[in-house]
Amino acid sequence: MADAPTPVMFAIVTTKKDSVSGGMAPIFIAEDEQERERIAMWLTRITNAIVHDLHNGTFILTVNQGG
Amino acid sequence: MSGSSAPINWTPMIVGFAAGLLARMISLRSGRSHYPGYPSGYISQVALAVIAAMIGSSVLPALIGKQFTAATFLTLAATQFRDVRTTERQTLEQEEKLILVSRGPGYIEGIAITYEARNYLSMLVALLTSTVTEFGGLVVGLIGGVIILIIGEIFMSGKHLEDVIDVQPAKIWFDKGSLLYAGEVMMMEVGLPHSRERYEKEGLAVVLTPKNERGQAVLWNISQRQAIAYEAATAVGVQKDVGYPEQTPLCRMAMPQGTGKAGLSILPVERDMNKLIHAIKRTPVLESSKWTRITSPVLNREEM
Repeated sequence: MADAPTPVMFAIVTTKKDSVSGGMAPIFIAEDEQERERIAMWLTRITNAIVHDLHNGTFILTVNQGG
Repeated sequence: MSGSSAPINWTPMIVGFAAGLLARMISLRSGRSHYPGYPSGYISQVALAVIAAMIGSSVLPALIGKQFTAATFLTLAATQFRDVRTTERQTLEQEEKLILVSRGPGYIEGIAITYEARNYLSMLVALLTSTVTEFGGLVVGLIGGVIILIIGEIFMSGKHLEDVIDVQPAKIWFDKGSLLYAGEVMMMEVGLPHSRERYEKEGLAVVLTPKNERGQAVLWNISQRQAIAYEAATAVGVQKDVGYPEQTPLCRMAMPQGTGKAGLSILPVERDMNKLIHAIKRTPVLESSKWTRITSPVLNREEM
């Protein structure tokens, strides 16, 4: 179903490693915001995951299951 | 069965056949569903139309000639057309995985049903026209055939979105840094600054406002909105490829507010607002989004 997606956490990209921990998704720690954006963009281009900005220094990448 | 049969009156069959075939041909333009597009697609449709028109036009002469076995066989042949729907659905579903903006299950079902119904319509027109010709003669038959054709066309033409929904251009902007808005409707969260820039520079957005309760019910249907997004994307193109999920055209409701309005955001190849609005207005109202009374009273809130 393309129009009723079920997002699943795929990866976490952060500059503040203390603000995230554990879980099912791998955590990528970036030096600064530029690197964070670069990593996030690469991951989305490679895996088709969607980038979301949590505005606390962390990007999350989700994939739509079955989409 | 008697060995001798009355001389066959060919006129009703020929007139009926012509009318039935014409009924199918008129609707055989690829237009809104973008299918069929190739001669091979047309050929199979034309072949089916010929068969349908022939079945329809020969039932009455068979009955009049007291050939009941033949008439029964013709109704048997008619059941073959049930497969048309399945075939259409399968073709479109296969395609779904490899097109960038999918049609959505509701739209596919709608197209499939239409294809099936068109053949039955062709059959009915042929049958009715041959009946009229049989009892009224050639001239009456011809006139009757035209009238039946017109009635059939009116009967088959569904509603378009412009009948129930008002489409207005809207501004694309970002709230809280990354929330994409189409006018007052929040669409989605765009995390990548690069994509946000692109949306601000090249994106187009419209707001869909329902004209009545029916329009509201139509918009609340997910399949219907996917069909709108698909039509929008085919009209102005979409800057998207595998690996660019945030550039997918979206059609979403104004959600925490629940005003019943919807927004559409798209990154078009051809930045033409008029074309976009026209395409959205011409999107067919899907059968699955028909109005239900249960949902509508809740949606009558103007503001919250």
